[in-house]
Amino acid sequence: MPLSMVKAGEPNVIKKVGGKSETKKFLENLGFVVGGLVTVISEINGSLIVNVKDSRVAIGKDMANKILV
Amino acid sequence: MSVKIALAGNPNCGKTTLFNALTGSNQFVGNWPGVTVEKKEGKLKGHKDVVIMDLPGIYSLSPYTLEEVVARNYLIGERPDAIINIVDGTNIERNLYLSTQIMELGIPVIMAINMMDLLEKSGEKIDIAKLGKDLGCEVVEISALKGTGIKKAAEKAVALAQSKKSAEVVHSFDKKVEDAIDAVKVMLGSQVPEEQKRFFAIKLLERDDKIVEQLNTVPDVSNEIKALEDAFDDDTESIITNERYVYISSVVADSCKKNGAKKLTTSDKIDRIVTNRWLALPIFAVVMFIVYYVSVSTVGDWATTWANDGVFGDGWHLFGIKSLFIPSVPSIVEGALNAVGCADWLSGLILDGIVAGVGAVLGFVPQMLVLFIFLAFLESCGYMARVAFIMDRIFRKFGLSGKSFIPMLIGTGCGVPGVMASRTIENDRDRKMTIMTTTFIPCGAKLPIIALIAGALFNGAWWVAPSAYFVGIAAIICSGIILKKTKMFAGEPAPFVMELPAYHMPTVSNVLRSMWERAWSFIKKAGTIILLSTIILWFLMNFGWVDGNFGMLEAEQLNDSILATIGNVIAPIFAPLGWGDWKMAVAAVTGLIAKENVVGTFGILFGFAEVAEDGSEFWGQLANSLPAVAAYSFLVFNLLCAPCFAAMGAIKREMNNIKWFFFAIGYQCLLAYVVGLCIYQVGTLITAGTFGIGTVVAFVLIIGFIYLLFRPYKESNTLNVNVKSVAKAK
Repeated sequence: MPLSMVKAGEPNVIKKVGGKSETKKFLENLGFVVGGLVTVISEINGSLIVNVKDSRVAIGKDMANKILV
Repeated sequence: MSVKIALAGNPNCGKTTLFNALTGSNQFVGNWPGVTVEKKEGKLKGHKDVVIMDLPGIYSLSPYTLEEVVARNYLIGERPDAIINIVDGTNIERNLYLSTQIMELGIPVIMAINMMDLLEKSGEKIDIAKLGKDLGCEVVEISALKGTGIKKAAEKAVALAQSKKSAEVVHSFDKKVEDAIDAVKVMLGSQVPEEQKRFFAIKLLERDDKIVEQLNTVPDVSNEIKALEDAFDDDTESIITNERYVYISSVVADSCKKNGAKKLTTSDKIDRIVTNRWLALPIFAVVMFIVYYVSVSTVGDWATTWANDGVFGDGWHLFGIKSLFIPSVPSIVEGALNAVGCADWLSGLILDGIVAGVGAVLGFVPQMLVLFIFLAFLESCGYMARVAFIMDRIFRKFGLSGKSFIPMLIGTGCGVPGVMASRTIENDRDRKMTIMTTTFIPCGAKLPIIALIAGALFNGAWWVAPSAYFVGIAAIICSGIILKKTKMFAGEPAPFVMELPAYHMPTVSNVLRSMWERAWSFIKKAGTIILLSTIILWFLMNFGWVDGNFGMLEAEQLNDSILATIGNVIAPIFAPLGWGDWKMAVAAVTGLIAKENVVGTFGILFGFAEVAEDGSEFWGQLANSLPAVAAYSFLVFNLLCAPCFAAMGAIKREMNNIKWFFFAIGYQCLLAYVVGLCIYQVGTLITAGTFGIGTVVAFVLIIGFIYLLFRPYKESNTLNVNVKSVAKAK
């Protein structure tokens, strides 16, 4: 399911990173790689703050929909 | 022999703190050629011949952001003698991702693990010796904030640089990937030095089109790419990214002891509250209110009053003690000029022109210092990144980014620091849009104009001042929507992805340094462009033809000045806006120096040498000379048109491109003219029933405006960073 629907606080394994190749690449550079863990810290209207590889990353709703866990 | 050492690392890893600690005050701040990415260079303390280069914070050496391209062009093209790679120890996996790429460049690398103190607190351990052996480079522990270990790191880097050894890559990927890299390395032949071959080979496999520009002959690697993609069922970039992370995981597992049970960090707990769905906006509003209130209303206002009325006005008392009177700058200068028997015209130029003009601008400096301290604090403690996140969804709707809010808020005080604050917006398109629209918000200097029009023509009606802010906000929103549909802005919206640094207490020296960097750039502006423009305007206002003789004029003879002549020429342009009188035109022109000049110019034009800030002496005369609708159109024009010279200078500096500067100024003036015209024409139709060509034009413009606002438009999703010019400028 897309990351935007995940419950806060639970670690999830990333299954797929979608989107345009530039965006995808940027996310991968930030640590969003298949097999990695991602935890949602907080959520405002679908936009998320997540923990990935020990750093906090804020992602917009449209982007959060393209990361599958 | 001079040695060049580059600092490279992720954003928020403590790179700037380390740079400041290593170089002290020995810094040179500029821009990388052709872009607004900041370039910082400094000399290592105690080593005159060691130059430290602070590269922009980056996550990788891919070509997707301007910062990455700038950093990587520097590393490939200029080849520093050594690199200090700063790694945030609390976030080691993600930081090592960049490290593996830096090590492929063939430049000797020292790895400095930062935030070791934080790491120890949380009970985590990194085996430095093991990590260094696994990565093939020397690793040192530092705390940039506390200054521990940094000297050792710098000395090791210098020794390494002088040894002239090139680094060797010890990490390796999957066998199939390594085979492909080796095959491409052979194809590269002799055009790339041996130690750089791995970097170029990987970039070619990743289909990095920017690397092609660096090569004379580009080998055809499509077979290797296809073989890899078939074998791994993914694109080559992702394959290599994955290989890097797989390798890093093995290294980290080997040398780092992590805390098993992950608790929420303090930073996360703060985020739970500060970015909470319900509390985020109220907390944000309170923070902004405090910043605004303190820097504009209380401390800032006190400081500005001191600077304007004391230092550049009637003098002031040191510490408020009556006996310690310090005369104002103008009176000191006047005394000095009288003492040497200076010619009238020259003392006029120096006092009324230069001292008054530049002084009016410098008067804003104390207020700006207060604002900049707040900003530097909010930025370095980590809250600013959250603001961008909170505001992004709202601002995105009209083509701006969440970060645009900060410049606009500051713009209510003064447009110059407002425009300069747009620098924190990384996305080029969002930043340009913000620069163009920030000055629509009425700044402190526009308030006297509002007070004048409200008092003289609307009997001080309560709604005039709020309507000015409303016009400003509406102009920003409409401009955002219209501009994002134009070709110039289309095609570059980046989805919102942003790292949030952990909250931490910034050091006093870093906050002060950041404040001073901003303030200094403003002061420099006052000394150059503003100085020049005040001299020219003073000349235009004080010289003219009286009875056929050219010469200097008395204050009452402003009607004969060159400025009045120019005013008479340009006045008809403003006739459709309802204020075709040359005096109004001249007042608007003097507003370009500083907006508060508008009221003062009116005063002189109506025969008063000195007037109150809101010009109450000539309210009656002004009310008789033009109808209320025309006055409102005059007000709106002055609010929206090109800002003062100081702010225009800031726009030019931040746009860093003359074409964009003129586009911004032109757009502002055009919008101001169109809105002013519509207000006057529609206003007279309603109040007086006048119908003419102007009314028709106004309605056509309104329809056109509505069309631009609502025309269909498809948002493009491609990210297009134009970096060719960067590569060429090198």
